[in-house]
Amino acid sequence: MSGYELKLKKTFPYQRPAIEKGYANQTLHLNLSDLAVATKPVTPQMKDIFIGGKGFDLWLLWNAVKPTTRWDDPENAVCIASGPLGGTPAYPGSGKSIAATISPLTGAVIDSNVGGYFGPYLKFSGFDALEIQGKTDQDIVVFVDGIDQKVEIFASTGLPEDAYRLSEVLTEHFAQGKLRNISVVSTGPGAKHTFFGCLNFSWYDPKRKRARYKQAGRGGVGTVFADKGIRALVARWDAAISLDTNQPAEKERLKTVAKQHAREIVELDPKQNEMATIGTTHIVTIMDDHDLLPTHNFRFGQHREAPNLGQAVFRRLFDPGYDGCWMGCTVACSHGVRDFVPLSGPYAGRKVFVDGPEYETIAGCGSNLGIFDPHTVIELNFYCDAYGLDTISVGTATAFAMECYELGLITAQQTGGLELYFGNRAAALEIVHQMARGEGFGKRIGQGVRRMKAVFARDFGADPKIMADIGMEAKGLEFSEYVTKESLAQQGGYGLALKGPQHDEAWLIFLDMVHNFMPTLAQKAEALHWFPMFRTWFSLCGLCKLPWNDVIPEDNQGTPEPAKVMKHVGWYAEYFSAVTGRESGPDDLIRMSETVYNFQRVFNLRMGFGRREHDALPYRAVGPVTELEYESRAERYDKQLTEIYQVDINGKSTAEKVALMRRLREAQYETLKDAVYKRRGWTPDGIPTLATVKRLGIDLPEVVDLLKANGVTA
Amino acid sequence: MIRVAGKERPWREGMTVADVLKELGGESAACPVVRVNDHYVSRPHFDQASIPDNARIFLIPMIAGG
Repeated sequence: MSGYELKLKKTFPYQRPAIEKGYANQTLHLNLSDLAVATKPVTPQMKDIFIGGKGFDLWLLWNAVKPTTRWDDPENAVCIASGPLGGTPAYPGSGKSIAATISPLTGAVIDSNVGGYFGPYLKFSGFDALEIQGKTDQDIVVFVDGIDQKVEIFASTGLPEDAYRLSEVLTEHFAQGKLRNISVVSTGPGAKHTFFGCLNFSWYDPKRKRARYKQAGRGGVGTVFADKGIRALVARWDAAISLDTNQPAEKERLKTVAKQHAREIVELDPKQNEMATIGTTHIVTIMDDHDLLPTHNFRFGQHREAPNLGQAVFRRLFDPGYDGCWMGCTVACSHGVRDFVPLSGPYAGRKVFVDGPEYETIAGCGSNLGIFDPHTVIELNFYCDAYGLDTISVGTATAFAMECYELGLITAQQTGGLELYFGNRAAALEIVHQMARGEGFGKRIGQGVRRMKAVFARDFGADPKIMADIGMEAKGLEFSEYVTKESLAQQGGYGLALKGPQHDEAWLIFLDMVHNFMPTLAQKAEALHWFPMFRTWFSLCGLCKLPWNDVIPEDNQGTPEPAKVMKHVGWYAEYFSAVTGRESGPDDLIRMSETVYNFQRVFNLRMGFGRREHDALPYRAVGPVTELEYESRAERYDKQLTEIYQVDINGKSTAEKVALMRRLREAQYETLKDAVYKRRGWTPDGIPTLATVKRLGIDLPEVVDLLKANGVTA
Repeated sequence: MIRVAGKERPWREGMTVADVLKELGGESAACPVVRVNDHYVSRPHFDQASIPDNARIFLIPMIAGG
């Protein structure tokens, strides 16, 4: 590659600290406005309260921003951290980075847990977290060179626009011949022109001889990154990483538990979900079978063509071979498609390697758009990654626009001639290309569902009431891809999630609907306490949650609480104890998460959110909005009205039954909120009580003042 | 002959996934998803899903997800 230039603007030499029990004990701070570089110590209190990873991100961000800070203010920070367990090569799923910022979609904190090598390389280079503030009109590349102990800031010109090629070029540029030593974080042109830009985190795949990518997708962290003027972050570290690199407190203990878990996955994954072969694609048809796969903007949960997007297809399309996004991970689910030839856009007619698709992309850019052609889904996946776009928000936002088009709320005149009916593959691709170019109707869709609702009402006279019901966003974030109408617990899993409706906090839909593990309201509330807390813990430590419950012990079903997979929870406590030397049991892990979780809720409050009203859901997440939806499952809904709600439906029209069902279900969701808030130690308005923050040790003066200012007195 | 969760069982013409789970009984009967060779079958289709001779059947716990 020629034609680009990296002009050195600043060098910051530093002495790399020795890693101690999983920590580098310092963080790295950059301010792009004046190119200031500094390190800050990690205090014992930080480790005690915030643990690492997302916890460190939140603490750095809390200190960086003000309650009035908007996403594009210079003081907003992009924070990226590993965690104390991050970078362990033998324990499956131990290479995650956690990125956080103030989101352009929600105005509050967004966090994303992502694979690739950057987080561990950053830590081993001497930094538990990286915080970037400031803005510049130059195109900046930051190079954290842990081997030569220096941070360099470059002004770049002529680098490729798309993340696909950009990561490849920068990997070669900085590797000094050792390509595995490099990880690149980058975004693409779509991030500049939309509010849901993602970040691509790379690792070098020696077998395929190319940089591979995972995405920190949700909430527009890539948009903030691009707005700051960052083209890429590059970390360099010696890829010869061993168990010793983290300097664990008890190496033999670590070795024992790591081997146990890794071996179990090797033995059981082929008998269970086959993550190492087909990744998360196996759940497409399973979701469809249970009426949970979103189709046509979450109207329905099933479609006769869904098998076209199922694992049987991707089993043939995925390039065979090892696909771990971190060294030695035995889940190894990051599959990709080799020699794919896009039909549209700048790569039309050229062979590319596509990292993905995973379930969420298949459902978001496939079934939810009424598209059941795997090649179109793969092409959308490819361009979203290359352009730096979150496939989930792209899918959900485009689905909303398509339904608005089909309902006549918007017209071809307003879409620039795009016929946005469901199933229009060419239009879906063109929307994504327009997002990258920052033009046309694609740019409007790129503002996200919440802003589209306002603009369609204001500029096109579209009915705000119907858009409020069918616009699948909460807190400003687009829904991830599950139909929740029949699972009250998953409605809570989405509606009560701190960052907005993303399933990583509480994926209860199958446990609730199919296994019926939580039939009572109290059980649902308990699940909406325990699961978000345990799932949060992975992001504190630099871990992936998949090894916890995507491959489970053969005797798990006979345990008292099979959904929790307590044998693995015990192993994680052992893992944490062995690395950090902080002796911990399962309850301690929950407590760690509960602390950070409540801090994040308080952070939301500080930013003007974090109350009951902000946990609202669009009605389509709760029940059938239209008569069409009701009538498509009339037997189910009639039965529920009659048997569960004890309503006499004789002589009632469909419209009346839709209205009845709505009243009952909305009331049920409010009741759930009450129960969950109480279980979490929050006020009826959804704010942590003073007693709760005190119990968790986050009764910092600024936290207490904030709660008191919001009327919390006990 | 078929193999169910690693153990051999006799096969018969017309056998369905529902039949196998019923025969297994206990916790297996509550299994929500089954893999027959490379094909995933969910509970709503157990009655119609026939099992070929020599099939390998895996009981998928479906605790996973998200």
